[in-house]
Amino acid sequence: MNSPTFEQQQQEKILNPSSSTQITQDLSENVILTTVDDIYNWARLSSLWPMLYGTACCFIEVAALIGSRFDFDRYGLVPRSSPRQSDLIITAGTVTMKMAPALVRLYEEMPEPKYVIAMGACTITGGMFSTDSTTAVRGVDKLIPVDVYIPGCPPRPEAIFDAVIKLRKKISNQSIQERATSIEQTHRFYSTRHNMKAVAPILDGTYIQSATRQAPPKELAEAMGMPLDAIESTEKKEVERG
Amino acid sequence: MAEEQGKQAPQESEVKSEIVVAGKTSSWLTENGFDNEALAPDVSNIEMIKVDADLLLPIATALYGYGYNYLQCQGAYDLGAGKELVSFYHLIKVADDVKQPDEVRLKVFLPRDNPQVPSVYWIWKAADWQERESYDMFGIIYEGHPNLKRILMNEDWIGYPLRKDYVSPDFYELQDAY
Repeated sequence: MNSPTFEQQQQEKILNPSSSTQITQDLSENVILTTVDDIYNWARLSSLWPMLYGTACCFIEVAALIGSRFDFDRYGLVPRSSPRQSDLIITAGTVTMKMAPALVRLYEEMPEPKYVIAMGACTITGGMFSTDSTTAVRGVDKLIPVDVYIPGCPPRPEAIFDAVIKLRKKISNQSIQERATSIEQTHRFYSTRHNMKAVAPILDGTYIQSATRQAPPKELAEAMGMPLDAIESTEKKEVERG
Repeated sequence: MAEEQGKQAPQESEVKSEIVVAGKTSSWLTENGFDNEALAPDVSNIEMIKVDADLLLPIATALYGYGYNYLQCQGAYDLGAGKELVSFYHLIKVADDVKQPDEVRLKVFLPRDNPQVPSVYWIWKAADWQERESYDMFGIIYEGHPNLKRILMNEDWIGYPLRKDYVSPDFYELQDAY
């Protein structure tokens, strides 16, 4: 029967407000509380720019990923054609000994922080080439440090998304404070000195114009036009036409 | 090239045991004084002719005059460790309205220690890269080729990888991944 006390009235006001409280609403709509690490990582993982790198059939799947059906732009992945603008390389395809120096160079040209996704059996172990190939590199992690491995031959585009999501999780856990140690790679990454001697490039750019292509060497010309019998005269004409 | 190899390998052994009837092109070459040896035809019944390295150019020129205007495939294979290297030339006659063009395959057997054969680049330009590949993989020197450089392997690679006695270098990159 008693009217509510002042204390009870106040309590009721807080528990069942007649309208939404303006101040907290405004705060939660306009202010974000986070850490530098979190927002920095969020920005980075939302705009992973992969380098357009494909050496074999795996890139067909990456190309499907770029297309409208799988559309990797929705993960913030924008293909870049320059290593200077990219922070992710998906090694799509077999890497040979001839390609290896180019791959390492491309990797080194990418700015830190950079990530590597080894895509497909070839870049993990050499794949089907690991039995007897004279030139396939057995696992791209012998050349550059790998963050995520995608098994498959070739992996489906969904598998690449899975790898990208795993990489995003990895990036979201990183901290600027640990940057010095995390950049120093802790993965399987071994480089060996081959003590090879650099040779001058064998391709000089004068391909079809090169002097050796203008006319056959004298001995060959003689051998080709060697008169042997009656057909020789007609046959010679034919050759000159060709 | 691998297919060609597989196709021909079983035929080699039969060559010595059977008497081979010389085919059309081989007979024509013999009639015209070009020394050659007919080999047993392959599974698709394509005439095969063994040719001396010295005589390859005159014979190839003659066949060009005879109508073989298209070098469909040039390649090489290794008969086995210590045996000869073979450089082959698959020729066909390309013309209008032909359903079944004449085909012939020339084979040059080369000694392993000094595999030298004249280049047919100056007759069929198609031989350019194919001879480069045969050089790269088997170390066959095509004399007179305008640009005989490695085409597939690194420019500083040592050895010829498709020879049967090739030993792969023990590079770290080529060792098994675990």
